[in-house]
Amino acid sequence: MSVRVSSRPLRGAAAMEELESRDSGAIVVFSGRVRPDRTAAGRVVALDYEAHRGPALARLAALERTARRRYGARHVVLWHRVGRLRVGETAVIVGVACGHRAEAFAAGRFLIEELKAVVPIWKTERARRVRRPRPRPSRPAARSAGSGRAR
Amino acid sequence: MGSKLVARPTPRVRVLLFAAARAAVGQPSLDRVVPRSGVRVDALLQQLSSDYPKLAPLLRSSRYVRNGRYLASSRGRVRPGDELAVHPPYGGG
Repeated sequence: MSVRVSSRPLRGAAAMEELESRDSGAIVVFSGRVRPDRTAAGRVVALDYEAHRGPALARLAALERTARRRYGARHVVLWHRVGRLRVGETAVIVGVACGHRAEAFAAGRFLIEELKAVVPIWKTERARRVRRPRPRPSRPAARSAGSGRAR
Repeated sequence: MGSKLVARPTPRVRVLLFAAARAAVGQPSLDRVVPRSGVRVDALLQQLSSDYPKLAPLLRSSRYVRNGRYLASSRGRVRPGDELAVHPPYGGG
């Protein structure tokens, strides 16, 4: 079992190492990263993640047990980062090793959706207002014989 | 023989606030004085709604954790020394 809520950076390669074993025919790893979304407040430059650590770890452990029971998962990784994460940084890694790909994909999907719904973790957007270039004052129309609409 | 006066601590419940709930109140926790026999969670939430109107809509959609365990209903009680966490809708991932 590997559940974690930590301020330390997350590495997909470390999750793969945790999941690799001879008894699993399929490994699925999902990595969720901070996107540079545009919102009403501007462009997102970072997300602040916080957790209620004890209940969060308990719920992650419960999800891991459900994945084992329901999908036959042999190894599970549920890691979530907290603190300020900038665009491009990894916020969550969900990984699962199963006998076959169908169960592995289904278990991975189940785990990330449930994690978002039932684990006490929150994010707050940090946005920077995007400056739009000022429109240039329009020049008066040139007076020349060649100007004007075609007739 | 003189009698000793022993000060009894004021009975309090600590309310932990996360995310939007913390922003609505402006601080991460509140200490509320409660009767020594405790108080129902829904009564405590009603007080909080009155004291912090911005918190009221969030409390309707929040989950509650008493001393690390989820409450099935707000009809449960909190007693002095308890910790009640307010969990607004989650947003991990």
